[in-house]
Amino acid sequence: MRAWKAVVLFNLALVVGAGWGYAFWGVRAARLERELAAARATALSGVEREWTVEGVVRAIFPELNVLVITHGEINEFMPAMTMGFRVASPKIQEAVSVGDAVRFTVRGVPPNVAVIAIQKITR
Amino acid sequence: MLALGLVARWVHLATSIFLVGGSVMIVMAGQSDRPTARRWEQRTLAATRALAVVALASGLVVLSVQTALFEGRVGAALDLAAIARVVVETQAGHVWLVRFGLLVLLAAFLLLRLSVDRRVDWRAARGEGVLLGAAALLPIAAAGHAAAVEPGTARAIALDALHVVAAGVWVGGLVPLALLLRAAATSEGSDARPYAVLAARRFSRVALGAVAILAVTGALLATVHVGSVAGLVGTRYGRLLLAKLLLLALALLLAMVNRSVLLARLGGDGATVGRPAMRRLSGFVVAEACLALAILGVVAALGVTPPARHDAPVWPFAIRLSTAALEGASAEATRALIGSQIAVLGLAGLVAAAVLRSRMLPLGALGLVALGAGAGLALPPLAIDAYPTTYLRPSIPYQAASVASGAALYRESCVACHGARGAGDGPAGLSLPRPPADLRAPHTTQHTAGDLYWWLTNGIPAAGMPGFGARLSDDQRWDLINFLRALSAGYAARGMGATVEPDRRWLVAPDFAFAVGPTPPRSLKEYRGRVVLLVLYQLPESRPRMSQIAGREGTLAMLGVEVIAVPTDADRDAIRRLGDDPRVLFPVVTDGAEAIVATYRLFAAAPHAEFLIDRQGYVRTIAKSRGQAEEMEMEPLLAQIQELNQERVPVEPPPEEHVH
Repeated sequence: MRAWKAVVLFNLALVVGAGWGYAFWGVRAARLERELAAARATALSGVEREWTVEGVVRAIFPELNVLVITHGEINEFMPAMTMGFRVASPKIQEAVSVGDAVRFTVRGVPPNVAVIAIQKITR
Repeated sequence: MLALGLVARWVHLATSIFLVGGSVMIVMAGQSDRPTARRWEQRTLAATRALAVVALASGLVVLSVQTALFEGRVGAALDLAAIARVVVETQAGHVWLVRFGLLVLLAAFLLLRLSVDRRVDWRAARGEGVLLGAAALLPIAAAGHAAAVEPGTARAIALDALHVVAAGVWVGGLVPLALLLRAAATSEGSDARPYAVLAARRFSRVALGAVAILAVTGALLATVHVGSVAGLVGTRYGRLLLAKLLLLALALLLAMVNRSVLLARLGGDGATVGRPAMRRLSGFVVAEACLALAILGVVAALGVTPPARHDAPVWPFAIRLSTAALEGASAEATRALIGSQIAVLGLAGLVAAAVLRSRMLPLGALGLVALGAGAGLALPPLAIDAYPTTYLRPSIPYQAASVASGAALYRESCVACHGARGAGDGPAGLSLPRPPADLRAPHTTQHTAGDLYWWLTNGIPAAGMPGFGARLSDDQRWDLINFLRALSAGYAARGMGATVEPDRRWLVAPDFAFAVGPTPPRSLKEYRGRVVLLVLYQLPESRPRMSQIAGREGTLAMLGVEVIAVPTDADRDAIRRLGDDPRVLFPVVTDGAEAIVATYRLFAAAPHAEFLIDRQGYVRTIAKSRGQAEEMEMEPLLAQIQELNQERVPVEPPPEEHVH
């Protein structure tokens, strides 16, 4: 065989091999990533979940059945922030007052969650 | 183990580079029908074959040593499973995988016996050698220090890749060239002399270009990895780089002689070409190659040394030069200015001497004299005393917690001489040989944090200042330095008012960590990019003002302002004490308040103080009051916030970067 043909074939094989390998891996990685995202989404949506987090009661709106709480991160739902939570029953908000450090449980299908239990903690 | 790794790295780097150079040299010399030239080509090809095998073997050794270092046990060097893990799971491992693949391909290709009698076949076969060799060398950049540069990784890798390939072309071509010249200089090799002369000329031209690329990429990479004079002279990496530059200067000197003197003597027709010159040139080229090999050894050592930027520099001189020395000394400044202008003239003279060859001597002499005189005039006023730790960076960041513990240490150890406010007026200072320094004074800009560290550690014997190296820990001394920084910044900030001064950012807001109740701690730094209103309040005086702010919380949120309220009494029940009328929803610090108050009180000693911190983390306004509502209004504050929001954010390094 002529040397230049051999070289061309060699390079062609190299490029095709590298391209095929990359495409194989790339496609596989992309597919795995998609599957992972889909699995995460189905795991998180439409299913009732429950979290227990700590925070501080900042305000109480008895007429709205809402407690405003500064809380830490709620895993896979929301970062640390100050926000209002619906309470499942008025009794819950009667048990606490502004400034209390609390451990509270929220339950529901995100983003519709409500506080179902609250408990003062001492630090 | 380390020595073995270093030698293996050296061998691997040298063989990889010589592989490229050998192939390039063959292509550059071109195809020939002269027997001596063909013999040289075959010998060079055989050498590249051997080099490919050695590169593979030494690469395996480097990889296994690296695995041992990675796993932290010597046995891992021979543990195939551990090596496989490194190869599959690390970025450097991926690079090795690609390079091994290319080297194996290259070796296989070189072993193919292709017939290359026709020109196109010859070009294809020899070109493929260059291509595969360069392709195997290039990824080396992605496994070195360049891959760890952050930000600008891609740029650093590209520069490094260009650097190694240029080195391959220049350094790698030297040995084959010397062999060719030697063969042609003998009496039986006379048939290849024109061929050798042509090859030497071509190589000389290409190598010049390669050296230019090396210089530019090398300088850029040095700014990335070293970045400062202190890093160059004060760290292991920097000194290795200096050694490399010295060797390089010698090699370039040889190259210059080769190019301008010996190459010119090779002229003439085939048979009468200067044989002694050719022999001498071959000897000089070998010497150049030896220097290059030594340079590669230094490069191998550089590869296993942490870059100067990530090392603590030890300043080796008793003085340093800085324009900070000229602050407040106008006569000295004039002298430095005049001297620098004379030096510039001298430089211009030197450039002119290099360009105008006919008047080289007088112009060059004049230029040198002017340069020396200018430097002699300009440099002495720039000199500032320096110490080994001058360029040491603080190991404790400028944070409220550090400043607060520094303040406590100051009260214990420094107050007696330097005074309660740092003015240098303590009672014990009166009997000292020199009055204690006023620690608030602006002259502190002439001292680096490292200078302060030196004085704190070793004292200033002439002034009667004791050293605290034995009494205070390393961290405690840095805490004190952070406190001094805040103290002098606070003194400078005493004139700062409640109105934003456009585009004047200088007062760095010390970072702090805080927590609201049982929630995880956050830091001021996390709010970078938003305007922060930091309120230091005291009940009951601040209550009207707090009600005002709470009442306008919606407006503040709309303007993108984050409010952080800190009770000056560090009450852990602060939220309850603020009550629920009006409702306060912004963070009220219950953990970490002591440090924040201790630090920010240095900037504003008032019961109630408000600091407006801009999006880059600089304090822009300070409002002080006793807290009555009639004293402070909401509207002016909102106007200042609006001013900050409309300001263009400049692209500047974040405030932590500069120490003073």
